[in-house]
Amino acid sequence: MRLFRHLQHWLTGCGPRLRVADFVPVMHPIRQWADTFPWAALVAALERSFAQRFPKDSSRGRPPVSLRVLLALELLKHEVGASDEHICHRLRTDFAVMYACGIEGVQWDCPREHFVLPETLVQFRHRLDDALMDELLAIQAAAAMEEGLVSPAHLLVDTFPVEQGSQRVTDATTLYKAQKKSSTSSRPSRRNAPRKRPR
Amino acid sequence: MRRFGRQCRGQGKVFVTLVRQTEKQLLERGSPLTVLAQTAQHCLRQATHLPARQRERVEGHLQAALEAHHTIRRQSQRLTQGKPLRQCKIVNAYDGTIAPILKGKSNCPAQFGRKPGIISEPTAGFIFATHLPIGNPSDASYVVPLVDKVQATIARVKAPCKLAIHSVASDLGANDPTVRQTLHARGILTLGIPKTVEPINPQPTPQAILDYLNAAGLNRKRTPYQVQLACACGHSRPVVESHIATLLSRGAGQVRYKGPQGAAIQLGMTVLAHNGATMVRIRQQRLSKRAQKFRRLLGLRHRNVNQINNSKN
Repeated sequence: MRLFRHLQHWLTGCGPRLRVADFVPVMHPIRQWADTFPWAALVAALERSFAQRFPKDSSRGRPPVSLRVLLALELLKHEVGASDEHICHRLRTDFAVMYACGIEGVQWDCPREHFVLPETLVQFRHRLDDALMDELLAIQAAAAMEEGLVSPAHLLVDTFPVEQGSQRVTDATTLYKAQKKSSTSSRPSRRNAPRKRPR
Repeated sequence: MRRFGRQCRGQGKVFVTLVRQTEKQLLERGSPLTVLAQTAQHCLRQATHLPARQRERVEGHLQAALEAHHTIRRQSQRLTQGKPLRQCKIVNAYDGTIAPILKGKSNCPAQFGRKPGIISEPTAGFIFATHLPIGNPSDASYVVPLVDKVQATIARVKAPCKLAIHSVASDLGANDPTVRQTLHARGILTLGIPKTVEPINPQPTPQAILDYLNAAGLNRKRTPYQVQLACACGHSRPVVESHIATLLSRGAGQVRYKGPQGAAIQLGMTVLAHNGATMVRIRQQRLSKRAQKFRRLLGLRHRNVNQINNSKN
């Protein structure tokens, strides 16, 4: 009977909700990483900021994706070095990513309930700003200090350069495009050029 | 401070020519924009039949278009007529907040970009705050805003123990008398900011400690032990390079999002992710010997209750 209960998803197409935490080992790197964040405070800060800057006019429409999921996806993206598409795809299949996003249970018969499109992640990023990022960082730092893990007694300050909006011309495609553009812009057009008379 | 390294050479002049040609064409094409936008603004003021909200929105768009053209023109002239862009690099000229990072190398092409600043703790590399200014200001201008942010963070802490910044260390670029005075006025030691290229003595004599405290006017606020720790922190300042390297490995070396806001978001998210990984390392005691010793001196020793119980049993 117990075996049937576990295989119920495949046999009948529906079944009880699977607890995500049961499938992610305690020592899993993503689980340990996710457990360090003060999620409640971070999400509350996001909600407060969004409510001030983007007030809802009506309650109609599809319910939004949870801010907890979007924030965790954005952070995970930088932690594992993935793209928007890749991290959204992993959310569908990877239990560790589901755990990091705060999804407690999934059900086989409604597998699309936790789908997030990459476009949604882009829209979420558009709503963030500098002040909010500073606040999120301050919340994380304050939580770490309260826990006694870090101390601000002695600090180091440094800067580093970051490339922005630049395209390094090393790949063949860009080189080809640039050369083609250069040659077309420098070449005189044939239409306007006067015809030479044959002698 | 880190700077851009030597770049690859060759093929450069082709692209400078290309940039110059295309930019001139775009500027010529966009030159009537100012007149058109001003005319449109005039027409909009006369169109009283439109709702106020719509007029306000369109007015905002027109104003943005005017400002954008001005920014593009200035930035593209910097790109095409100045010396900075000489080698194989095509730069997005439509972002007015990037600046050439010109310091340091005389025989290399200058690159355009941003220069974020971080403030971190020297033991495990937890980053408390970041600062992303517009352009390429001096390193000294980063110190006070970063310290401000950390003090604002400390104000959030609800723990009973009183936290405070005792010292700040940086490189020679932050050596500025005004910054030192500002930090001394807040009770912060600046021993870690060097005045010369000589390395900082990690173990100063008692007389040197006393002299420093008197010179900074902090002999009532800071103890000799805190000065010793500040010297040790300043001596091991290059450890911040490893924190930067960790950020770069997470993709902070190249900003993929658009504009200054995108840069701030990417940097912020990278730092949050980095801090999460740092806290995992602290909890698991995966720290270097230097970091462990420093944490012990700061009273941050992690007590693992399970480990003590195991050893007893």
